[in-house]
Amino acid sequence: MAANCACETIDPNNPTGPKIDAIFPAAYLLRLYKYSPVDYENLRAAKYVLENPKRIFFGVRVFNQGGWCYTGHPAEWYIKERAIVPFPKDRVFAVYVNPNLQVYECRAEYTDAVDPLCPVDWQNRYRGLTWKSTS
Amino acid sequence: MEKHFLADMMAGEGKPEFRAEPWYNPYGDCIVYKMADEAVVADRIDELLTVYNSAVDNRPIGFQIKGVQATIRKLGLDGLAVASEADAGGVKSISIAALLLAAYEEGEPTLARRRAYASVMECSVKKRTIPADDLQPA
Repeated sequence: MAANCACETIDPNNPTGPKIDAIFPAAYLLRLYKYSPVDYENLRAAKYVLENPKRIFFGVRVFNQGGWCYTGHPAEWYIKERAIVPFPKDRVFAVYVNPNLQVYECRAEYTDAVDPLCPVDWQNRYRGLTWKSTS
Repeated sequence: MEKHFLADMMAGEGKPEFRAEPWYNPYGDCIVYKMADEAVVADRIDELLTVYNSAVDNRPIGFQIKGVQATIRKLGLDGLAVASEADAGGVKSISIAALLLAAYEEGEPTLARRRAYASVMECSVKKRTIPADDLQPA
């Protein structure tokens, strides 16, 4: 039976402090599992990005206050059923988390020309960069 | 590829089957539609619309409409209702096209936006409505 799934990640409100749990909501997981199999497979990439983020952005929505976008670069992903390929260098994988730390969107983004670990146009899309990996 | 980290949890949930229909994601307050079971690369058009391009060949295969609750607050369910149902004792479904038009009206009428919204409106969406009862934010 589907249940919420916690994933340890950097606290966007306190990036240097203890890690916190982001939550994959059960209903979201079940929806992807039942009706969107490739997206379900790519939850692996989402989990990897939450565990190994490279950038965290805040203020991701105009009409919904709060929320964050974690980005990173998984090694591989599914592009269609049974087709696993290296994750492209000119894309970044983004995981969107709402103010309750619930994951609601996981997808690739086109990259910024200067910093390929940022989604394109991030300066205008988000209110700012919360945290940046130094590794 | 190693075993999926959710494999044990999903063991009793039946056989997956891709469904090309729009659905309301309450955690993101957005409507999501994909017409193909492929990974997507997001092409953000504006604050309310993101087009999903296929990671396989870059063709548009879907979209995400954001800020659904704000649009409902602004227009009311009646303003987004499917016309044939609007007078039959409450709003049963809202129209995806009406939501898209409402989203378009929020921004500048640029050529890029017009093209993007037009391409989304031309998507072959079989189910063009969302049940009003589904539109409950998390």
